[in-house]
Amino acid sequence: MTTIDATRIKRQHTSRLRRGDLLSTLVYFSVAIVLAIFLADGGAAYFTNIRDLATGVGIVTGLIGSDLLLVMLLLAARIPFIDRTFGHDTALAQHRKLGKPVLYLILAHMVLLLIGYGISAGLNPIAEAIDMFFNMEHLWMAFIGMALMILVVVTSLVIVRKKLAYQFWYLVHLLSYGAVLAALPHQFSAGMLFADGTWARYYWMAFYVITLAAITIFRVIIPVALSLKHSLVVSEVRVEAPGVVSITMTGRRLNELKGKGGQFINWRFWAPKLWWVSHPFSLSAAPDGKSLRITVRDLGDTSHRLLTIPTGTKVSFEGPYGIFSESARTTTKAVFIGAGVGITPIRAMLEDPKLKANDATVILRGTTEQEVFLWQETYDLCVAKHASLRVLVGKRPPGVATWLSAEAYSSGERLSTLAPDIKHSDVFICGPMQWTDLVVRDAKRAGVPDRQIHAERFEF
Amino acid sequence: MRARSAFFAGAGSVAIIAIGWQAGVGTLVSSLPTSAPAASGTTASAGTAAGTTTAGNSAGAGTTGTTSNTSTSPSAAAPAAPAAPATGTVADGTYNGQTINTRFGTVQVNAVISGGVITDVVAVKLTDQGRQSVNISNQAAPMIRQEVLSAQSAKVSNIGGATYTTQGYLMSLQSALDAAGFTG
Repeated sequence: MTTIDATRIKRQHTSRLRRGDLLSTLVYFSVAIVLAIFLADGGAAYFTNIRDLATGVGIVTGLIGSDLLLVMLLLAARIPFIDRTFGHDTALAQHRKLGKPVLYLILAHMVLLLIGYGISAGLNPIAEAIDMFFNMEHLWMAFIGMALMILVVVTSLVIVRKKLAYQFWYLVHLLSYGAVLAALPHQFSAGMLFADGTWARYYWMAFYVITLAAITIFRVIIPVALSLKHSLVVSEVRVEAPGVVSITMTGRRLNELKGKGGQFINWRFWAPKLWWVSHPFSLSAAPDGKSLRITVRDLGDTSHRLLTIPTGTKVSFEGPYGIFSESARTTTKAVFIGAGVGITPIRAMLEDPKLKANDATVILRGTTEQEVFLWQETYDLCVAKHASLRVLVGKRPPGVATWLSAEAYSSGERLSTLAPDIKHSDVFICGPMQWTDLVVRDAKRAGVPDRQIHAERFEF
Repeated sequence: MRARSAFFAGAGSVAIIAIGWQAGVGTLVSSLPTSAPAASGTTASAGTAAGTTTAGNSAGAGTTGTTSNTSTSPSAAAPAAPAAPATGTVADGTYNGQTINTRFGTVQVNAVISGGVITDVVAVKLTDQGRQSVNISNQAAPMIRQEVLSAQSAKVSNIGGATYTTQGYLMSLQSALDAAGFTG
């Protein structure tokens, strides 16, 4: 039994690695292809004389920048193949990581072409910009696209730092589609590389069409279709602790919804003052084919309205997303470490039938006993699965950077004593941002390889 | 990424870039001396090629590149057409190229084909926006025309410092050649 399970997990992990490598290779190839298009058009000629140098580099940065911009959009398009391979959070982290380089590449494209064209026209870059804006086809749109793009990246950075409202961030991001579309026409008219009748034109068009189609299908059509198909309604709201409720939703043909314990869904509750914002919440029970359940804590924003949501409220959703689930496993053993509402996806994963007995160690944290949410359910599951369970209650020790309770810390408990076999286990961590970072740090110190660490962070 | 995949991705990317480079170099060297023998070798009749080239040259020399008389050269070269069996499928005449937008204005050229060879390229409109554009166009156009006539193709090298004129010129010419069904 164990060897069959080990083979399955190993195969699942290898196939994930292979898919990841395939996708990364495609990204490298896409960059190589735009460079090849540039060179095939005799682009090397720009580098044979000093007058055209700026123009040549400007074209190259524009090509690579827009290629990577499309990669960014694909990473955020919720394409199931990408999400299943990298995980929703890793895909989005890569998306964010590309944001600044792409902005710089496209800015360089603009500045260098203003200089390069300016040299050829005998104009300074500013006069050149004005001339281009008014006299060159579609260039005014490209300038607007550039301005929008700067706005999107700058506000994204500010929003991340100052934690501005999610809805505002969302609206700003919609502008990025405007930026992409505004920049599109000049690539086909002013950019002679993609002129009429060249195969490069069809390649470039296909790249855009595929990207925009993926966004439309996976971010709009499928969520709407699934929401209509399952037509979820709130069927039960149960108070778990002060400020914490479990919301159960029922709907049609839920047995057809592919979802695993530990995954999250973006929910939209069609109730007054709630409908205009969607909330990402993990499933707190593995989908049983009849209902879906989330456990929600009042985090101070609009989520406090969820505590009093009436039964019968209609719910639409996007998801399920993420590989904080059984799919992420690389070995047969697993350690689950959760704090506060972070316990809920762990509770759902414990329910997964693929998780075999004796495999799991569960460590739960709460400032007070009441904050070890879903305690009874989790306890029952651990007993049924023969998982070892440790609960650490109490505040953290003052002045020490640790995720443990003061009591556990002073009595000498560490990650290695709580989960002796952690080196050979998958470690699933879910909790508040800083707390999670500390657990990840300790896991790494204990010698757990990066690929075995699966963390899901949430913010207060 | 695992090492093997990283190697494959790197090697594949280099290969793709190399193919692009090779294709680009093809357009750069086709007008260099090395390709000249090949061009004459593939032409069905050396006599025809020589005859028409001189006709084109004389027309070009007599006037500027943009105003060469196109009506006389096809008729002058017409009797030689039957002597070129391999390329005889292209009908004689003047073929209009598409208007190409460039940063420095639109470019349009017409190709004159007679006896299966390009006998002349007439620039209808050249880059003229920007302070030096007209100068650049006037210098570059005869040079490009000369290269095109000797290579018998729109795939010739860039004229340094006149990249936009060259690109527009050659793209417009290629569309004219495509319209004629001229494959070289």
